[in-house]
Amino acid sequence: MKKWFAMSLITALFIVSACGGANNGGNAENAANATNEAANNTAGSTNEAAAEEEIKPEDGAKLLVWESKEERPFVEAIAKEFTDKYGIEVKFEEVGAADQVTKLTTDGPAGLGADVVVFPHDNLGRAVTAGLVLPNDFYEEISRSENSEIAVNAVSYDGTLYGYPRSIETYALFYNKALISEAPKTFDEIVEFAKTFNDVPNNKYALMWDVGNFYFNYPFVSGGYVYGDNGQNKDDIGLNTEGAISGLAYYGSLRNSILPLNSGDITYDIKKGLFTSGTLAMDINGPWTIADYKSAGIDFGVVQIPSINGQPASSFSGVKAWYVNQFSKYPNAARLFANFAATKAAQLKDFELTGAIPANTEATNDASVQSDEIVKGFVAQFNQSTPMPSIPEMANVWSPIAAAFSDVWNSGKDAKAALDNAVQQIKDANNGTAAK
Amino acid sequence: MNRHRSTAAILSLLVMGLGQLYNRQIIKGLIMLAVEAAALMYFIPNIGRAVWGIVTLGEKTQGLEKIGKISVRVEGDHSIFLLISGLITIFLLVIFIIIYVMNIRDAYRNGKQRDEGALPASFRKTVSYVLDRNFPHLMLTLPVLGVLFLTIMPIIFMVMLAFTNYASPDHIPPAKLVDWVGFQTFANLLTLKTWSHTFIGVFTWTIIWAVIATVTTYFGGLLVALLIEQKGIRFKKLWRTLFIIPYAIPQLISLLVMRNLFNGQFGPINQYLGYFGMGKLPWLTDPFWAKVTVIVVNMWVGIPVSMVLILGVLTAIPKDLYEAADVDGASGIQKFRIITIPFVLFSTAPILITQFAGNINNFNVIFLLTNGDPVKGDYQFAGSTDLLVTWLYKLTLNNSQYNMASAIGIIIFAIVATFSIINYRRSRSFKEEDMIQ
Repeated sequence: MKKWFAMSLITALFIVSACGGANNGGNAENAANATNEAANNTAGSTNEAAAEEEIKPEDGAKLLVWESKEERPFVEAIAKEFTDKYGIEVKFEEVGAADQVTKLTTDGPAGLGADVVVFPHDNLGRAVTAGLVLPNDFYEEISRSENSEIAVNAVSYDGTLYGYPRSIETYALFYNKALISEAPKTFDEIVEFAKTFNDVPNNKYALMWDVGNFYFNYPFVSGGYVYGDNGQNKDDIGLNTEGAISGLAYYGSLRNSILPLNSGDITYDIKKGLFTSGTLAMDINGPWTIADYKSAGIDFGVVQIPSINGQPASSFSGVKAWYVNQFSKYPNAARLFANFAATKAAQLKDFELTGAIPANTEATNDASVQSDEIVKGFVAQFNQSTPMPSIPEMANVWSPIAAAFSDVWNSGKDAKAALDNAVQQIKDANNGTAAK
Repeated sequence: MNRHRSTAAILSLLVMGLGQLYNRQIIKGLIMLAVEAAALMYFIPNIGRAVWGIVTLGEKTQGLEKIGKISVRVEGDHSIFLLISGLITIFLLVIFIIIYVMNIRDAYRNGKQRDEGALPASFRKTVSYVLDRNFPHLMLTLPVLGVLFLTIMPIIFMVMLAFTNYASPDHIPPAKLVDWVGFQTFANLLTLKTWSHTFIGVFTWTIIWAVIATVTTYFGGLLVALLIEQKGIRFKKLWRTLFIIPYAIPQLISLLVMRNLFNGQFGPINQYLGYFGMGKLPWLTDPFWAKVTVIVVNMWVGIPVSMVLILGVLTAIPKDLYEAADVDGASGIQKFRIITIPFVLFSTAPILITQFAGNINNFNVIFLLTNGDPVKGDYQFAGSTDLLVTWLYKLTLNNSQYNMASAIGIIIFAIVATFSIINYRRSRSFKEEDMIQ
């Protein structure tokens, strides 16, 4: 008994010394700052001069920014400019853009998240419903007036603007100029071209895209829509409407006419290998591929995706934007940085350093952007694109609809039956999974 | 006669350390008092909130307030944090109660010593006693604490999640609260058509996979081991080394390479089949063939492990058994059936069960080779080759269905625990069994 007692005594000492109470101060301070701020602003002027006003960063502010590896050169450059101008230190941590909301869900409330984050807008719904990001309030007019309308709508949720738009992203048609002189305008032209060009034993294919991935397949069902009311209404699913069904049936017919492969066999690496070795004439892909294809020395162009069934092909687009973490200790400094890193000049710098296509309308018309044929192709496609729905229920769409596409492609399932089944699954997932 | 012991015990019951002071163990008593003071300082403000937090999981959501042009966050309750911090507090309380009971017993025992006329031990003596006689226990305290807070607590937390509605999209804190829903999650898993269909499908495949994977690797290993051990085989060491190689390469590398080897159109395997004039097989893209592929590849990964194990057992079989069999005129097959097999099976049966339990959770092979694909239209967030454990991974990381993932985790735990218990009991009975009948 004695030994147990001794042991527990030591244990107790450990515990008592290890448990300091953590307090979450700081909020009151922020609120106080904000009131001062507001007082300053209202005293200063009306909204007329919003662009002239500066938000007052907190004393001793230090910022942490999350961004993906590819964007490092841009973030480091812009952070340096920001530090030179305002004397606020900015640290950079590598987190992939698509993973940031997931990470922020746990790290934000725990006080470990970055002050300024960046993610594609399709994650915005998850971030807002979980209460992770602050609205873009102070710079709202500037952001709205300077960026393209598609981009502003994409980074808004329930009518409130949250993001500071920075760059746009969609996919378009890459074509190898040595193999096909004139880019096709319709899918039927591709089918004609494939009759003469395709040679499966020698790996010659007219066109490839990620056949199993709904992100790239959306143009085929863009006669329908995913969610109604600009992608905000989870109860209005338009994936089994007439337009979507006929598009999917057409998609199914392409397997025999242009691409006789199983959808699981087509991967990014395989497409890249074929395109760079000059046996693949066309590829539907995003701007992230440009560097790979350029370094392989292929002479290629980028144009809009050919029309399907006489309808212009609308692609899914994504808008990357900065957001301010609600749990930031320095929300005002973070707003300042988010805006600073999303101005026209910053977006052009981003384009110059990483090739990200600007969301800012003036920057899009800038000579450096307009002189680039490849980027022009993406911008043209973006203008006929559909922003991905940003409501959290979008997460329930990907796998059922991918399964429908793969059933139609691989086993020739009837398009209507496949889509009805997928829509039913999405509905179940939207309504039935969470206990009421 | 019982004066001291009861007085000391009652004093210690009132306040920790008083009984020790009464027993003239001043330093020990003061340490106790300090512990109690610290504990009271910690518990009085925290215990109420901990219980409230666990029971209600929060009442107020976080919101935003407009101040001029700026929105400011208004602190709310974060259900999951409340649950974790409440758990920590309750764990500490349990530890404190244990210490308190110890302290009373200690006071009683020392009082008893005094009643019997002995002097209570001095502090120095106690310390040397702890450092000397109880050194192992002293060294174990830190690991025990580690296990308590880093293993047991997370498990309890995870089990609790299964009884909440913590799932995307409507119940992700801090903007939304999480509530207790009792067995609703399990009910949904078993009664909602999409969930139950997926669960039954994935569960069935998991069991089939575990059985086939275990049997193939085990007997494959046995076969290879016997071949290598045959008399007259030369370069034994070379063969052994060759067969170990698949086990030595990290699965992360070898399986991702395999993924490309098995590509239906461009993979070398189908290319060679094509050269020999045979048709191409949809190795990873057809539900049935994908299952065949993961089993075949798993044999390649798993056979070396069984082989090494069985090689060891084979060397332990007494040679004179075989010599005696030769004298009796037994054939090779008879020797194998009557001597080798019982011997090997007897020594490795417990490991077979462990391997089976391990294969139920064989995350690597499935995740790296097929990622659970090919997709299956009528499954909820799962593919044709998903095991329960990879499905759980997808539910947590891709779809934020934490409560459902946790319920599935509990079910997996129940299955694996069953096998482990069987294994444990069997190996116990083995020790007491005579081997050769």
